[in-house]
Amino acid sequence: MLMRPFLTMQLGDRIITLMAALVLVLQIAMVAQRWIVTHIRIFAAQSFFLAIIAATIAWLNHAPHIYIAAVLTLVVKVVLVPILFERLVDRMQIHKEIEPIVNVPLSVLIAGGLTLVGYVVAESFYRPDEGGLGHNALAVAISLFLIGFFTMINRRKALTQVLALLSLENGLFLAAISLTYGMPLIVELGVFFDVLVAAMVLGILVYRIRESFESIDVSRLRRLRG
Amino acid sequence: MIERLIENVAQLILLLALAPLVTGTIRTLKARLQTRRGPGIFQPYRDLRKHFGKSMVIPETASWIFTATPWIVFFSTVIAGLMIPMVAADAPLGLFGGALAVIFLLGLGRFFLALGGLDSGSSFGGLGSSREMTISALAEPAMMLAIFTVAIGAGSTGLTEIAGAAIGQNWRFLAPAQMLAFAALALVLIAETGRIPVDNPATHLELTMIHEAMILEYSGPYLALIEWAASIKQLVLMTLLINCFWPFGLQPAWFGFGALKGIAWLLAKLFLLSCSIVLLETVNAKLRLFRVPELLAVAFTLGALALVSTFLF
Amino acid sequence: MLIIALLLIPIAAAAASFLARRRAGMEAVNLAGSAAVFLAAIALAAQVLARGTISLGNGFFFADSLSALVILLTASVSLVCSTYSIGYLRDDQNSGALGNEEGGDQQLKQLRMYYSLTPLFVFSMLFMAVANNLGVMWVAIEATTLASIFLVTFYGKVTSLEAAWKYAIIGGVGLSMALFGTIVAYYAGDSLAGSEALSGWNWSVLAQHTAQLDKPSMRLAFALILLGYGTKAGLAPMHTWKPDAYSEAPVPSAAILSSAMLNCALYGLIRFYILASRCLGAEYPGRLLLLFGLLSMGISVPFVLVQKNYRRLLAYHTIDHAGIMVTALGIGGALGSLGLMLHMTFHTIAKSLLFLCAGNVQQHFRTELFSGIKGSVLRAMPLTGVIFLMAMLAIIGMPPFSLFQSEFLIVRAAFDGGHALTGALFVLFGTGVFAGALLHVVGMILGPPGDTPVAGRRPWRNGSLLVLAAALVVIGFWVPAPLLQLIRGAAQVVTGQ
Repeated sequence: MLMRPFLTMQLGDRIITLMAALVLVLQIAMVAQRWIVTHIRIFAAQSFFLAIIAATIAWLNHAPHIYIAAVLTLVVKVVLVPILFERLVDRMQIHKEIEPIVNVPLSVLIAGGLTLVGYVVAESFYRPDEGGLGHNALAVAISLFLIGFFTMINRRKALTQVLALLSLENGLFLAAISLTYGMPLIVELGVFFDVLVAAMVLGILVYRIRESFESIDVSRLRRLRG
Repeated sequence: MIERLIENVAQLILLLALAPLVTGTIRTLKARLQTRRGPGIFQPYRDLRKHFGKSMVIPETASWIFTATPWIVFFSTVIAGLMIPMVAADAPLGLFGGALAVIFLLGLGRFFLALGGLDSGSSFGGLGSSREMTISALAEPAMMLAIFTVAIGAGSTGLTEIAGAAIGQNWRFLAPAQMLAFAALALVLIAETGRIPVDNPATHLELTMIHEAMILEYSGPYLALIEWAASIKQLVLMTLLINCFWPFGLQPAWFGFGALKGIAWLLAKLFLLSCSIVLLETVNAKLRLFRVPELLAVAFTLGALALVSTFLF
Repeated sequence: MLIIALLLIPIAAAAASFLARRRAGMEAVNLAGSAAVFLAAIALAAQVLARGTISLGNGFFFADSLSALVILLTASVSLVCSTYSIGYLRDDQNSGALGNEEGGDQQLKQLRMYYSLTPLFVFSMLFMAVANNLGVMWVAIEATTLASIFLVTFYGKVTSLEAAWKYAIIGGVGLSMALFGTIVAYYAGDSLAGSEALSGWNWSVLAQHTAQLDKPSMRLAFALILLGYGTKAGLAPMHTWKPDAYSEAPVPSAAILSSAMLNCALYGLIRFYILASRCLGAEYPGRLLLLFGLLSMGISVPFVLVQKNYRRLLAYHTIDHAGIMVTALGIGGALGSLGLMLHMTFHTIAKSLLFLCAGNVQQHFRTELFSGIKGSVLRAMPLTGVIFLMAMLAIIGMPPFSLFQSEFLIVRAAFDGGHALTGALFVLFGTGVFAGALLHVVGMILGPPGDTPVAGRRPWRNGSLLVLAAALVVIGFWVPAPLLQLIRGAAQVVTGQ
């Protein structure tokens, strides 16, 4: 490992907090977004910041297996999945989201409220005797989870729902990193593999829905009832 | 006492002189970015001189509000400008609860501007006024939340104290609360100064105007006062933004040589901010009016989160 | 060794099916593979009975009676369904349900997809049952979702896509919650020694040190896991994907989904329940389980009563039975756990049998609605009609069939354990479902003959039907001793001997 003397605990903590705040801001920006391509790019940026957080935690705690998690995040979520989805958007020629169920200003406010809920929940996990590394990151992780869940319910285009699901998984990744310093390597590999395959499978499904329904508006998927 | 007076006068002159320059710089930079030559950075001065020399046409249906508005707007903005730390951390005028007074004065100006727009009885004026009120109804809470966040960090709402607390902690702005507040305040800046993506300051089409529509009936010296006040308001908000969060180069007080250094720093930071604004304006398109609340909702949420995070982090 | 073989055989079968050129090759490989898996499962069960628990790969693989039971059930279902699917898919091919290209290339592609995905699906279910690591368990169950999505879209209809989408999204969200729960559960065990290593996430390790787990975290973890794995099991209110997925998937896949995959989801839930109940006491987890279980039973009643589509009826029935099993888990105690395991076994046999019969009916009458059949199943397909009726009677709990015994045991456990309200609701909801299902199905099977022709000979399909039916009947009277021992052992794992 490179010995960088200025990367002290305090600076590392600051970087993590900063990145966590950026991740949160990006998640809220995703709620307010209308263009699907921008959605994909925000997701890529969010995953990039997560990879930085993972790398910083790995450095500060001398836990090499988290480096691998960071690299996996970079490869899978910053490069592969966004490329996959941008190509899908290209093929489908669907660029804009339609009006969500709850209108945008209200959903942004709800996202803010969910962030507060995330903080409150994370509070109960806070153990002051451990390093303060977990506190902010865990709160952001839970907020990401809740906001991603809300966005999935709120949005009507299938691709946006998939992106919300992936950002939810981003939150889980961050929670794993901050709570337990990552998961064992095999589990990490398995989870990333699952995420990649899930993205591919869902992408294929979205494409086929587009072909059959001439739209990816999931509120049209209403034939099976009762 | 005398020093106070000198400080006030100095800041007054700085405000009056610098405001049109900033407007001109932004316009010219925008033009250059669009590969035009632009009107030159001193054009607003020439415009002001032109307007002051012209005669006025006042609508018959106007009341005393119409004539009072330009003066009220101008003076409230100037007084607000005297209350912010521009060159020194020590703001020359410190009225009741610095930050709150600034917001109040700016709000007062906006209120009378909206009334003036309504007063002339033209429908475009009313259109502009209602739009302006819609936007400010959402922008103002966001601004207040962001400023309160910073105030909590400094322990007081006095802008002098806020700037003073910021000096010496150069990396403080990396704290999430500060960053979120900065983001919120930046969005509010765009809304309040009527820049793209909220309002196009260079539009000729009445139906797309917000600020311009309110002042459509004004001419001559009144128009000059209002436009000057608008530039001053823009300068005030920009200075507020940069000096609360990036207080590099803020002097502790208005001393002789130090003041020059302070002015130099201020100009540099203003230039940088102007470049960012120009970039933002060029890259984005103007939002439809009904989309503006979305942008401001984001600003409000960021401000609220910033405020709450000062307690939680 | 056995475990490795158990896992490798389906993968090999999948690969071989993928590479096979002709339909006969794929069928043969699949059949051989599932037979081999079945034999391996029996051998594994025998080993577990002899030795107690089996651990392999430094604790990475772990098999006790519970795992062995689930694996045995999964293997049996997959064997029967492999046999059935040969006849079923041949019929589909002939009738043009697989796509209308005469060249047969499109059809071959579809068949290849089915025969490659099904062993992978079975592999992931088997993997889940032997994985010791909580995280690996999660990865396996997510893999089951991913493998089965394209099985649901098999027929490529518009409704299949809709069903697959709901399945994918609801399943995805549910499993994300389960992942969160897994992470929190691991966090609860953070204070244990050696928790950073892979073994820190092992269920067997955590089960031994439950006293040291962090209680509030464990509470949150269990709630999340219940929501997550409960979604996969189809508990209300997360059940909405089930009717769609079960009615759109090809019949053998639906059979596997409703029996084997349900068992796997319950397996995950049981493992966490064991951890939670030992750490927090049986009160809190039991209450949550009872809530969801009774809710599932209750919700299925109206839908069963007004159902028009017999495959969706079976789906709601599965939701009901998932509720029954979860209620049994919530009641707990020796009787409750025994009832749960017995019910799991019997339900697997009965439910898969029902689905296969329904498949026969659907392929012959070409409709999924009760109104389309008009009551002439018995005339057109005597064997199927009889077996269908018998299986239906069995599954609603009519004596002397086995499900009566398990449900009775559960009700008795409820009243014995002081859950009188639970017992009463159980009986009430059970009656509701009983009435609805019987009404519809009897109306479908018995009745004036229509003019549909009598079905021809269907060796593969009817053969598998007969085997399962025989098993169902026999098990009502006599459970083979090793199987009973396995079931008892599994129940003891739950109560923690």
